[in-house]
Amino acid sequence: MNESIEFSVGFSHGVEWGWPIGVYLLLAGISGGALIIALALRYYQKQTEETPLLKAASLVSFVTIALGMIFLVGDLEKPLYFWKILINYNFTSVMSIGVLALCLYIPLTFLIVVLVFEAWIKERLGQTPLAKLFFLFAWIKPLRPMIHLLAFIFALVVCAYTGFLISVLVRFPLLNTAILPALFVVSGLSAGTAFSSVIAAYFFKADAHHGDMKTLHTLEWPIMALEMLLLFMLFVSLIVGTNVDKDAAAAFFEGSYRHLFWVGVVGLGFSVPLVLNFFLGKTVAHSRMSFYISGMASVLGVLSLRLFILYAGQTFSA
Amino acid sequence: MEQDTKRRHFLKYLGASSLVLSTVGHSTQTQEEEKPKKPHYGMIFDQNKCVGCTECEVACKKTNAVPKKQARLYVENKTDPNTPLEKRYTRVSCQQCVDAPCVNVCPTNACYRDEKTGIVTMNTNDCIACKYCIVACPYDVRFINHETKSAENCNFCFNTNFAKNEEPACVQACKYKALVFGDLNDEASYINQLLHVKDSVRMKPSFGTQPSLRYIPIVKTGV
Repeated sequence: MNESIEFSVGFSHGVEWGWPIGVYLLLAGISGGALIIALALRYYQKQTEETPLLKAASLVSFVTIALGMIFLVGDLEKPLYFWKILINYNFTSVMSIGVLALCLYIPLTFLIVVLVFEAWIKERLGQTPLAKLFFLFAWIKPLRPMIHLLAFIFALVVCAYTGFLISVLVRFPLLNTAILPALFVVSGLSAGTAFSSVIAAYFFKADAHHGDMKTLHTLEWPIMALEMLLLFMLFVSLIVGTNVDKDAAAAFFEGSYRHLFWVGVVGLGFSVPLVLNFFLGKTVAHSRMSFYISGMASVLGVLSLRLFILYAGQTFSA
Repeated sequence: MEQDTKRRHFLKYLGASSLVLSTVGHSTQTQEEEKPKKPHYGMIFDQNKCVGCTECEVACKKTNAVPKKQARLYVENKTDPNTPLEKRYTRVSCQQCVDAPCVNVCPTNACYRDEKTGIVTMNTNDCIACKYCIVACPYDVRFINHETKSAENCNFCFNTNFAKNEEPACVQACKYKALVFGDLNDEASYINQLLHVKDSVRMKPSFGTQPSLRYIPIVKTGV
């Protein structure tokens, strides 16, 4: 440091955005990722029926984003005033833009759930007072292609905004990088794919090794490779950067959060699925057990990634 | 004869145009007078004069009702342990950036720049305490007030002393004149006169937020 004058204390408590935000970042990633992959597959394979994957993905995307809202509001110091964010907007704020995107995205995921489960809803709720609302199906059904397209776009926007949200924080070299939004979209795809295929296989009886599940299974590896590449790029951008950047690169090897990276991201997220699928023979790779374990390991890996980025990012500051 | 009419026309146009130009000129001049330059409030911290008595901290807390164990203003002891007799203190507080990240990121516009004075301040009623401004601040000088549950920063006593046309509490409390407050856009102000004759620096200017606080660091001259 060759500044003639400086101060080193701050008024914050180090990590101001803690685990609830980390969990929210994961849930938003799962929600967006699940919907992106399911809708992309539907477009690509020109599916018209309600596949187990679409059922699972629509349910997952709605439930995870709704849960995410609980974590997001719960992290506010004034949670009961959260409505202020809905009536005031500031378009230079990524958070404000994100809120606007969520206000459109959440109803869209709900509509998709309703459309996908139409038969189930009509069967189960036909005798309840809710049956009076069934005429609405006739209204929203013609809009379905539009709803799918908008949901696909906003799923991408939601995934990306979570990255931009923290990449604008100039004080933290690990966060203040253009790679972050891309990393969050790709890891969101990975977690969303893993979680919705587990749900599709367990609850909607999708065959874990045929059809959509098989396609997803082959897609899983390029997505993981891309995730590794982006992490590597993030690391390289730090070690070739300024002194402040170089100091922050230590987050990968020093401090208590390095375990989140090596055990959580590399161990659980990358190694467990790779070992189960490629190194223990065909019987293990094709077993239901390894399908579920590697799916959940991927999700936990992405959770570790979000927590590592958030905690280590806020610890190593300029 | 023909030349004479030409000359007459020329004189006529000259007179008319001078009339038009002078009124236009006059009107633009009055417009300038009606619209004075907006103020740009700034502060100088002179490290050469600060003795670290922290009376500014005490005055700030009292004036702005800052809860115990929290601070809008803190005097950090930056004395080099190898030269314990050469005391060095530094003011830690909001730098009142011209391009303020806290204002840019606040989703509810609770953290805002006052239209009239240009001071970055808070509307505590609209703050939902999302802490985005706290993590966005390059200087880490914002905090959630435990009592109001809203984010806060040094706003030059905007709601207290400044509203009463008085100098900020820290400036009033400083017995050593280490703090100078004033309008950087007013060429005649004392702060500007001081900046003309003294070398001053801005804290971490590489963040590019154009802070309004100026620091006059202790610089050894001679051998």
